[in-house]
Amino acid sequence: MNTVLLVQSLIGGIIMGSVYALLGVGFSLTWGVMRVIHISHAAFGLIAAFVAYGCLQRWGIDPIASLVFMVPLLFCCACFVYRFLILPVTKAREVIVSSMILTFGIAIIVENIMLLIWGPDPRLITTWYTSRVFIVGPFYFQYAPVAGFVMAVAGVGVIHLFLKKTYTGKAVRAAWQQSDAAQLYGVNLTRISMITFGLAVGSAGAGGVGLALLYSFEPHAHNLWLIYLFLVVIVGGVGNVLGTAAAGVLIGIITGLSLAFLPYQWVNPLTFGLLMAVLAVRPHGLFRSEV
Amino acid sequence: MASVCPTKTAKKVVGIALLSAILLVFPWLGPPVYFISFLYTVFMFVCMASAWNLIGGYAGYLSFGHAAFFGTGAYAAAMLTKAVGPGTASNLLCSIPSGLVAAVIALVVGYPCLKLRGPYFAVITLCFAFVVQLSVQNLGVLGGPDGLWIKGMDLPVETGRSILYESMLLLMAITILVVERIEHSKFGAGLRAIKQDEEVAQTMAVNAPRLKMGAFALSAFFPGVAGGLHASYLTYIHPTIVFDVNMSILIVLMALFGGGASWLGPVVGAVLLSFINELLSTFVKAELARIIYGSLFIVVIIFMPNGIMEFIRKRKQTGSPH
Repeated sequence: MNTVLLVQSLIGGIIMGSVYALLGVGFSLTWGVMRVIHISHAAFGLIAAFVAYGCLQRWGIDPIASLVFMVPLLFCCACFVYRFLILPVTKAREVIVSSMILTFGIAIIVENIMLLIWGPDPRLITTWYTSRVFIVGPFYFQYAPVAGFVMAVAGVGVIHLFLKKTYTGKAVRAAWQQSDAAQLYGVNLTRISMITFGLAVGSAGAGGVGLALLYSFEPHAHNLWLIYLFLVVIVGGVGNVLGTAAAGVLIGIITGLSLAFLPYQWVNPLTFGLLMAVLAVRPHGLFRSEV
Repeated sequence: MASVCPTKTAKKVVGIALLSAILLVFPWLGPPVYFISFLYTVFMFVCMASAWNLIGGYAGYLSFGHAAFFGTGAYAAAMLTKAVGPGTASNLLCSIPSGLVAAVIALVVGYPCLKLRGPYFAVITLCFAFVVQLSVQNLGVLGGPDGLWIKGMDLPVETGRSILYESMLLLMAITILVVERIEHSKFGAGLRAIKQDEEVAQTMAVNAPRLKMGAFALSAFFPGVAGGLHASYLTYIHPTIVFDVNMSILIVLMALFGGGASWLGPVVGAVLLSFINELLSTFVKAELARIIYGSLFIVVIIFMPNGIMEFIRKRKQTGSPH
């Protein structure tokens, strides 16, 4: 096996995994903090990718720059969704089941809105730097995936710092650890959940744009993304931000290695088989869950 | 339900008998094939949702991978008919061992998976369905990405469809009957106890692992048989069709839509959702139909979080003074 090729596919895998981690962090938070499995998470990421694509086509706005208004927009959308759809359900007897069905309905709606607007054809974001490459030693780096990688690292870092350093972030963690006690100490659970959900969907937008820099996408793509989200989040431990990031890199390494050694069509069965193995052995993730 | 007077039960029996008689003779009255095919799919989904309810509704273990058992049944039937030799009788009968194959796979997979709870079980079954689909797609023995052709029955379309219709009706009736019997048995009570609190159930001498395995295998058997029948119906099976993830999710939604607490819930849910889906896709633009369909889930889950049947039952209780 050619070492250069191996390292090259490893790098590709790590970039892919870290972007999935950015997409997964919010998913992990909503699951951990709010006990809501947000099936439409990837669909919101996908809609951000489509809007970025539209902005680029029409006005020539760079996809990463378009995040400046997209993330706040998604944040507001998510707050509405939380207030009017998710909040009534969190009072049900089985939050997880009800929220899964509810958000599955949202995913169907979002998917078909995308189909109505953009049609079923696969799209590819082509910016001025898409085909550019820089070379370090024997390795080739494409600009677009590297941009996605940098965005992923920055995004996960910001969310981690938000949770660790800011007052609101600490309240989110308190609500996750002991929601009753947190309420006794004056944490408004509804408000905190709304912020968590908004932040999660906002980061999903960033992750979606990041993935759009790596791959082509079409309105059904969020289903496969969702599987990867589950993979990243469960391996990393639900609610664990750094664990999710580490899991993303780990899965990227595994995918990169298997791409180098296995025929392509066996990569996905291997990845999902791996998730099953992790679940069966360590259902609460490889890393210690600690917000 | 305790104070059901005998005339009420008699009425119920007469109603069910009348309904089954109508359904039984329906295809021989010469309706358009479309209606026979549509009712056939309704029966198929009722059968699968009812079977799913054993593990998902009673025991509270949400399996999102039941399409895997359906697809396994379809593939097993296809291979079996190839080995035995195609024909009307062999095509139909091969679906029964196919169901057994699905049940055996459920036992093998269920042993490690049923130790997981809540969303983890849901995710692992979802992944299992994906792994099976992708593996079948890559296995040359099973036709790989080309799919498999099944020698159909050498009959005119109407007769062939009617025979399959009757078989599926029979399968559905058996499924409902079995599920209803289980609901009122010790087995069903044990499953419900597991859903309430597995630890407490185990201290009350409920053998939780064995009950769960039994329920899982049984809930895989009927979709397996249905898959076997459906293979003859389709005459061409492909991994993306018979292992469709959307089908797994649809089964879950049908059962929970109707309400997972009783055997009637999945039946009502499957029938209603099938009809709504069919009406929408016939009369409304596809994307718009799906949007309405998605909104339906939201409305139902917000206003009737425990399913339609529970909603109606509560309404009845508050409406009438006893």
